[in-house]
Parts: sequence; C-alpha cells; structure tokens
Amino acid sequence: MSPLVQGMLTIFIGVGGCVGYFYLSNLILDKVIFPARGDNPGININRANLVRPWLFLFPAMAALGLYLVYPVVGSFWRSLYNRSGDEFIGFGNYAVMFSDDGFQVALFNNFLWVLIVPAGATFLGLLVAQLTDRLKWGNIAKSLIFMPMAISFVGASLIWKFVYANNADIGLINALRDFFGAEEPLDVLQVRFWNNFFLMVILIWIQTGFAMVILSAALRGIPEETVEAAIIDGANPFQVFFKIKVPQIMGTIVVVWTTITILVLKVFDIVYTMTGGNFGTEILPSYMMSYMFRDDGRATAVAFVIMIIVLPVMIWNIRQARAEMR
Amino acid sequence: MARFYAGAAALALFAGAAYADGHQPFAVGEGDFNWDSYQAFADKYDLSGQTVEITGAWTGNEKEKVDIVFSYFESATGATVNYSGSDSFEQDIVISARSGSAPNLAAFPQPGLAADLASQGLLTPLPEGSAEWVAENFAAGQSWVDLGTYANDQGEEDIYGLFYRVDVKSLVWYSPIAFDESGYDIPETMEELKELTDMIVEDGGTPWCIGLGSGAATGWPATDWVEEMMLRTQSPEDYDAWVSNEMKFDDPKVIAAMEEFGYFALNDDYVDGGSEAVANTDFRDSPTGLFSIPPKCYMHRQASFIPAFFPEGTQAGEDVDFFYFPAYESKDLGKPVLGAGALFAITNPSEATNAMIEFLKTPISHELWMAQGGFLTPHKGVNPATYMDDSLRAQGEILLGATTFRFDASDLMPGEIGAGAFWTGMVDYTTGTPAAEVAKGIQDRWDAIQ
Repeated sequence: MSPLVQGMLTIFIGVGGCVGYFYLSNLILDKVIFPARGDNPGININRANLVRPWLFLFPAMAALGLYLVYPVVGSFWRSLYNRSGDEFIGFGNYAVMFSDDGFQVALFNNFLWVLIVPAGATFLGLLVAQLTDRLKWGNIAKSLIFMPMAISFVGASLIWKFVYANNADIGLINALRDFFGAEEPLDVLQVRFWNNFFLMVILIWIQTGFAMVILSAALRGIPEETVEAAIIDGANPFQVFFKIKVPQIMGTIVVVWTTITILVLKVFDIVYTMTGGNFGTEILPSYMMSYMFRDDGRATAVAFVIMIIVLPVMIWNIRQARAEMR
Repeated sequence: MARFYAGAAALALFAGAAYADGHQPFAVGEGDFNWDSYQAFADKYDLSGQTVEITGAWTGNEKEKVDIVFSYFESATGATVNYSGSDSFEQDIVISARSGSAPNLAAFPQPGLAADLASQGLLTPLPEGSAEWVAENFAAGQSWVDLGTYANDQGEEDIYGLFYRVDVKSLVWYSPIAFDESGYDIPETMEELKELTDMIVEDGGTPWCIGLGSGAATGWPATDWVEEMMLRTQSPEDYDAWVSNEMKFDDPKVIAAMEEFGYFALNDDYVDGGSEAVANTDFRDSPTGLFSIPPKCYMHRQASFIPAFFPEGTQAGEDVDFFYFPAYESKDLGKPVLGAGALFAITNPSEATNAMIEFLKTPISHELWMAQGGFLTPHKGVNPATYMDDSLRAQGEILLGATTFRFDASDLMPGEIGAGAFWTGMVDYTTGTPAAEVAKGIQDRWDAIQ
C-alpha cells in the first residue's frame, strides 16, 4: 500500500473512529443501558447523565494512562533493578549515580543551563518585543529574530560550530581574536566551564524568538489608559516599562520562563552535536543518553531525576497558564 | 496509485534479476583471475532450483559489487542468490534470527554481534574442516580462526565466522612529493619513525595531523592509536587479555600504550595546530593538512578507508601514498597489523548455504571483488594482480605480510566501553587528564557491567 493511501486511511479511521465512538457509546448509554422508558425513566436519565462525562473522558484518560502514567511508573520500577533488569537492587542505581563524578558534573551544568537559558531568552525576548513595538520595520526585525525557531537543534548546532571554529578564517570568535592580535586560534569549546556558556548561547538564540512573540502579544494587550496615566503623572520611559508594563504581563513572563525551563531540561542534541558531552559539558539528558540501551537501570534512574526536577516547574507553569486564561 | 507502485516494484525486481544474470563484467577464462578455482567449484556442485538467502550491511555501491560476486556463484551452480542489504542490519538480523525467519547467511560488519548471536544458539557452525582451512589459507591464519570462533548457548566453542572483506588500519599516509623535497626516507621501524618525527620538527615542519572529531563518536580515532601501540609494545596474548578485560584497563601496560599515543598527540610541536587541536579536529578534515603547500603536516595514521575523504582529484601513489605503521625493532614483536572486517555466518543451514561457504573459500570469489575496488583480503591463494589499483595491492601486501593480525579492540569490547567510555576517555586524555586516571575511569565503567 502506498504511503499516501495509508495516510488517508489512517486519518479516515482515526477521525471516523472518534466520531463513531462518541456517537455509538452515547447511543448505547441512552437506548440500551439506561433507556428513558420503562419503569423509572426519570431516574434513568439522571443516571445516564452521571455516567456520560466519564464516557466522554474515557479515551483521553486511557491514552494518558497508557502513554504517560504507565511509562512513568514503569520507568521508576525499572530504575530499581540492575542493568539487565533481572535483579531488584532498590535504590542502588541512585546511590551509585549520586556518587558518580560524571553525574555531579552533569547536574551542576544542568543547573547552570536552567539558571541562564530561560532568563537570557526571556529577557532578550522582552527587550526585543518592547523595542520593535513602535518601529516601522519592527515586523521585519521580529521575523528575523523569530527565524531560528524554525531550525532544528542539530542544524543550529552545526551553524554555531562554524562560529566557534578553531580557525581564524572560519570561526567568528577566532577571527575577532585574530584581529586584535591573538597569536594562536583558540578552541572555545575546550575551555572548561566557560564552554557551557557557549553552548547555552545556541539555545538562547533559538528560544528568544519564541519569548518575543508571546511577550509582544502580551504587551499589546496592556490597556493604553494605564500607560497614558503614568506618562501624565510624569513617569519616564524606564518607569513606564518596569513599573507599569512588566507587572501587568508578569503572568505571561512566568509562563514563557517556565516553558523554556522545561525545554532546557529535555535538550540534549546541542551538547551531543557540539561536544558529544566531552570537555566537561555533559548535562543530565546527554548523561542519560550515554547509559541508554546499555545500562537501562542507570538510564531510567537519571530519567527519573530529570522528571523530579521538571515536576515543580511544570506545576507552576500550568497554574500560571490557567491563571492567565481567567 | 497502488498499482503504479506494484508495477514499479515488479519492474525493479525484474531489473535486479536481469542484472544478476546478464551482467558479469569479467568473462570466464580471461584476465589474471584464478578461473581454475571457479571451474573446479562449478564441476563439483549442481544446485539447480535451490536458493540462498543472504542479508548484510552492504548497501548501494557495495551491494552492486557483492551482487556481481554472487552472480558467478549462480552461474557456477544454477542456484539463485537473493542478497538484501540494510542500513539497520544489526537490528534486523537479531529480530529475524530470534523469530526463526532468518536468512541462510548473514554478512556481519564486525564479530561482536555474531558472537552475541552464537552465544544465544542462533548460529550454525561452519562446515567441518573450516577452522583448519582458514588457519592454512589466510595470512596470520590462527588470528582469523580465533576471531571467528565463539561459544554457543551450551558453552561449546566452534568456528562460526568466515572473514570476507577486510580493512587495514595500520597505515601511515604521507605526501611523497613533500617527502622527496625534504629528502625524508620511509621509516622501517618505530625508532626510525620517532627519529623522523624529531627531524621534521628540527627542519621547521610539523610531522603529524591527528584529528579525533567525529560528532557524537568523537574520540574513536584515538582508540585505534592505542590499539596499535598495544600491539607494538605488548604480546598478542596481552592484547587479547585486554580485549576480554582479563587484563584490567588500568593495567600499567595499557597506560603505557596510551602514553605512547600521547608521545605523538600531546606534543605541541608534533601535531598540526598543537595538541589542543587534536580533540576537536574532525577526522575527515584531518588529512587535508598533507595536501596544503607548504604541507601543514607530513604524516597521518588512519585506516584504509580514508582516501574517500581526501580532496577531490587526489591521485593515489602520486599526491599521497602510505607506509606500514612500523613496529619497534627492539621489542621483537614481528609485524602486527590492526584491522577490521566483515564475516559470513550461517543463520539458517542448507546444502546450498554450505556450497556458498565453500565458494567464499575459493580465490576467485575474493578476486572478483578485488578487481572492483574497495576490497582487501588475507586469503593467500589470490592473485594480487587482480587488485583494482596499486594502492590496494600494497595494502593487500601488508595484510599478507602480517605476522600477527588483531581486530579493532574497541569493536570487540562491550558497546558501553568500546563505543562509549573508551572514546570519551581518550578525549579527556588528549585534553590533559592523566592516562592513569582515564584508564581507571574506563575500568570502573567496565566493572559496573560485570
């Protein structure tokens, strides 16, 4: 069967199945299980209405259970077993992991990433959103800044590999150093500790566009009266921005911030492509990758640690997003 | 739409069949080939109506070449050979072998996976007498027997793998023009190589180009260096003990081999760009220094596949040539050769399959691929004249002249070490971590497996 036909068929079966499920299950509930006839139609209608929400929720719950809850519980369970999965070792994987130098480095680096990337991307995004707001060519500027969003992490890494190239003819940084009279090219990716920041720049570059678009919309949503009132009261532009505008879009800022934080805790491709985790640039997801399919006990333990770290950020993110909606 | 695709598929199948029958570039009885071995084989077997199913990792251009080899088996025996190559061969073969739908033969790119399948009882030993045959007919024969010998699920050892198509790693590439201009001679021993290295520095040049960069696999070229140094400083038995971890990774002998690599790679004067450039220079870009004017470096140690990454229009033998990465005269370890290679193993026995194994022992089956290029063999019965060019011929000579052949150790170690900790460890070593510390880290990771 050709892929085209397969695709059409999948869409047809998927959509048709959904419609069919809701329609038929509803029909069976109303006509067969609790029919509005016979001895006590009133009670039956009430009963059917009690069951109905669960009927409609069931597919979503089943899918969530199968694809989210089960894997989480299953991974946790797997992380309590040894590498081949046939011997229960309790929290042995976690104990070994926390005493491992590589893990500590990865944890520390990840902490730096979480600290710097969301802050950098959100701050820059806010700055750009504000500065391009009243410009004639603001939209062009925004489009340019938004563009990196469309590039995959691996693609972006390859682009930045040229920027950091250990060669004054190719690498931008080394070209600048050369211009200011440096003798030898420097491989910035090998400068321990600082190389982490060079990798973070890539993600900030990608994510600034996202922050900018959301915050730009939020800035537009601020009632003009508040800004005008502030200006009449003699506030300077900085005061208007920081004291009037920012507090009003604080909710959106938090949502953007936490969304990027969650992304940071998942990103491994940048490290994988740029340094392969060498030169002390390992972060938790790439550390997990180095154990995956080899020592699944260890790998799931790392995955679980990542999840524990993500969880509070995620809850905060969802609550803020909900508050925004109201 | 579906009909169109079915039609195209049928056409492709038909074309493939036509190609297999009608396209034999070498006429029987002509050229330098051992046609006698072909005739003797053809007289011995009549397998009309039988089929041999084969899978392997050779795709594209390599599949075309191997299909031509198989077509001669078809015309000699009347059997049909269906070879299908897959980029995900490693996964496919495991799945098909476990589900009992394996092909007759599988061409494994390296022994590790074949040994795994043998230990699960999924492979059939080669026909009786194969071990003796390999020991007799391959250069450094016993090494090849050992590499193809595995234990099955009962723990019984037998020969399962017949090697076919080998890569040589122990090569140093250089520019003959640059060597001539400076009046350098090809070093015959490791002592001479070190002297030459110092001489180039004295003359104001840079002797070596070394690059370990390979994306996520960064570090692997250094593992080859360490393996070469193990073979040149320790006995083959020690090398084998290191591969199986009977000798610990942080054994002084292994650390010494690492430091032998460091002798070249950690000396800023010896390496193009200084030792800092080693870890991050891409292995594919690394040899280009040989071709710049003036040369950025004079020598580059890398396996036989590297010409694929030389600049466009590079003439082998003129712009670039190679010599054997020499051994120490003082250590008396002969001429060890490091390499890698593919092997055939029987996943589903049949009469025609055994005939195919016998065919792969004939000189002609090797020569037919030698003549198409990109193929080296340790088979002593082949006529080196059939190699496609002089460069391959010389590499074949190195294989035939090997007193010891050893397989890439990192390919034989567990993936977690050979394709993980060993790579990153070598990167750490080239960026300043002491060898002893690196070796201990790798051994710790290995201990965690056991």
